[in-house]
Amino acid sequence: MNNRNLLKGIFLAVFALIFGLGALKYNTGTVQRPGPGFFPFMVSSILFVLGVSMAARAHFTKRVPMEFTVKNIAIVLGSLAGFAVLSEYVNMIAGITFLVFASTFAGTRYSWRRNLAISAVLVGIAFVFQKGLGLQLPLY
Amino acid sequence: MEIINNLMFGFSHALTMHNLMYVAIGCFVGTIVGLLPGLGPLATISLLLPLTFSIPTGGALIMLAGIYSGAQYGDSVSAITMKIPHASSIVACIDGYQMTLNGQTGLALFTAGVSSFIGGTVAIFVLAALAPALGEVALLFGPADYTALMLFGFVCVSFVTTGSLLDGLAMCMVGVLLGQIGTDVNSGVARYTMGIPQLLDGIGLVSIALGCFGIAEISKNLDNREERTPFSGKIKLMPTWPQFKRIIPSALRGSVVGSFLGILPGGGPVIAQFAAYAIDRKFSKHRDQIGKGAIEGVAGQAAADEAAARTSFIPLMSIGIPENAVMALMMGAFIIKGIQPGPNMIASHPDLFWGLVASMWIGNCFLLLLNVPLVRYLLSIFKIPYNVLFPAILFFCCVGTYSVNNSLQDVFVTAAFGLMGYIMLRLSLDPAPLMLGFILGPMLEENFRRSLLLSRGSFSIFVTRPIAGTLIALIAIFVVWNFIVFVRQVRRNRAANGDATVPAEAD
Repeated sequence: MNNRNLLKGIFLAVFALIFGLGALKYNTGTVQRPGPGFFPFMVSSILFVLGVSMAARAHFTKRVPMEFTVKNIAIVLGSLAGFAVLSEYVNMIAGITFLVFASTFAGTRYSWRRNLAISAVLVGIAFVFQKGLGLQLPLY
Repeated sequence: MEIINNLMFGFSHALTMHNLMYVAIGCFVGTIVGLLPGLGPLATISLLLPLTFSIPTGGALIMLAGIYSGAQYGDSVSAITMKIPHASSIVACIDGYQMTLNGQTGLALFTAGVSSFIGGTVAIFVLAALAPALGEVALLFGPADYTALMLFGFVCVSFVTTGSLLDGLAMCMVGVLLGQIGTDVNSGVARYTMGIPQLLDGIGLVSIALGCFGIAEISKNLDNREERTPFSGKIKLMPTWPQFKRIIPSALRGSVVGSFLGILPGGGPVIAQFAAYAIDRKFSKHRDQIGKGAIEGVAGQAAADEAAARTSFIPLMSIGIPENAVMALMMGAFIIKGIQPGPNMIASHPDLFWGLVASMWIGNCFLLLLNVPLVRYLLSIFKIPYNVLFPAILFFCCVGTYSVNNSLQDVFVTAAFGLMGYIMLRLSLDPAPLMLGFILGPMLEENFRRSLLLSRGSFSIFVTRPIAGTLIALIAIFVVWNFIVFVRQVRRNRAANGDATVPAEAD
C-alpha cells in the first residue's frame, strides 16, 4: 500500500471528488448559460480522471515507498496554531515566545537559553516592523 | 528611437530618491533571504511581499522586481559556494561548485554577477522593444483565445517544471479548484466557503504561497537534516584580464538564449539555464573544460537566468497571462496593489510600466556594485545554525500572513496549506504549477464562460478561431506525443527483461 505513485493518484482523485461533489450543490446551468457549478464540476471531473489514471499507471511503474515524518510537520503546524491563538487572546509577544519554544522541538538540540535569546531578537524585530514599517502587530 | 525615449521616460521615474531606495532594499533583502537553504524565489517573494503593502504602488512593484533579482543572485551564491540547489540555480551547482572546489570561489561569484548584469542589460532592450508590440497583438485576443492560451501555458509549465506532464497538469487543476473558493463573480454565489466568512474573498495568495513554499519546505528540511559546513574559504573577487575576456562571449550567448526562452509560455529561468549550458558545452572555445569548473559554465547560465527572468515579464505585462509560477505570484502582487497587468497596463500606467523596466536595470547595477563586493559578508548568514534560523523563518511567515489583512485567522489558513504542501512534496508533486493554476483559475473560468456565451454553448469556438485553434492543436500534439513516449517505454522494457515497470519518474 505504501506506494508513492499509487497514493499520488488517490490523493488527487479524493481532492477532485471533494470539489466535484461540492460543485453539484451549486447550479450547474446549461452549456449555453453555464452556472456557478459548471466550471468547478468540469475541472474536478478531469482531475478525477487524471488521478484515477495515475493510480492505474502506478501498476506499470516501479514502486517507490513514500517517506512521511509526522513529527516535524506536526510540531511546526502546532506552533503556528499556538502563535495565532496566543496572539489573539493574550498578545503577540506571548505568541512569538510560544512559537520559538514550541517549534524548536523539531530542531536537533533544545536549549532554553538560546530560545530566550531568539525570542528576544524576534520581538525586537517585530517592534521594528510595527514602528518602522507601520505593520499593525498586536504586540501588547 | 522610440525605445530610447521610452526608457528615458522610465528612468525619470525610477531615479527618484525613494524608488532608488526601494530597489536597493529589494535587491539586498532579496539576496539575503534567497541565500537561505530551501527558500527559492517563490518563497522569498511571498515572504517579502507584505513589506511592500505600505509602499506606494510604483515603489512596491519596483521593490518586488528588485527582490526577485536579488533572490536569484542569492540562490546562485548558495549554489556556487555550498552546492545548495534551488529551482532557479540547479545549473550553477555544476561548474560553480566545481570552481569552489578548485579554489576559485571569488572568480565564480564575480562571473555570475557580471554575467547577470550582461543578461539583464540585453533583456531590458528586448523587454522595451517587444512588450508594447505584443500588447497590440494581445488586443486581437478574444475570450476563447485567452482560454486556449492559458491551457497552453499549463501544458508547457507542467512539462518544463516537473518533467511529468500528468503530474503538472494535475497540480494546475488543483490550483484552479483552490481558486474557485470564494464568491463567484458572475452569480454572486459563495462557493466552497464552508460557511466561513473570511473565505468569501477567496484564499489569500500569500497564505497559499507561504504554506506551500515556506512552511512545507521548512518541514521537509527539518526531516532530512544534514549539517552543512558554512563556507569559510577565501574569496578573491577580481579576475585577471584573460579570465574576464572569457566571460563576455559566453554571457552574450546566454543573454540571447535566455531572452528568447523567457518569452515563451512555460519558459523562464529554469529552462533557459539548461539551454545556455548545453549551448556553451557545444560551442564554447573551452568546451572541454565545462563540467570541471570552467568560467563559461557559470557565465552562460547566469546570463540566461537573469535574461529569462526579465523577459518573462513580457507576457505578463503585455498579454496579462503569467507564464510561470513566479510571474503568477507577481501578478497576484500587482493585483493586490490595484494594477491589472495586461494590454491596457502600458497605455494606462506608462509611468509604472517604464519605471519598472528602468528600475530592473538599476537593480542589476545595484547587484553588481553592492551585492557582489559584499558577498563575503552576506555569506556569514550561514554561520547561523538552522536551529536558530527556522524559528525565525516561521516567525516571518506568520507576520507576512498576518499583515495581509491584519487577521490572525489567516495564520491557520497558511498552516493548512503548509500541511497540504508537505503532503504534496512527499508525494513528489511540485507545487509550482499549483500557483499558476490558482492565479489563472478565476481568469480561466471567466474567459471559458464568456466563450460559451458567445458561441451559444458550442465548444467548436475553441477550434475554429485561428489563434485558439492553433494553440489547442499544439496542446493535442504535445499530449499525444507524451502518451506515445510512455507506451513505447513500457513496451521496450517489457521486451528487454519481461518486466513491465518503467522508472517511476519517466513518462
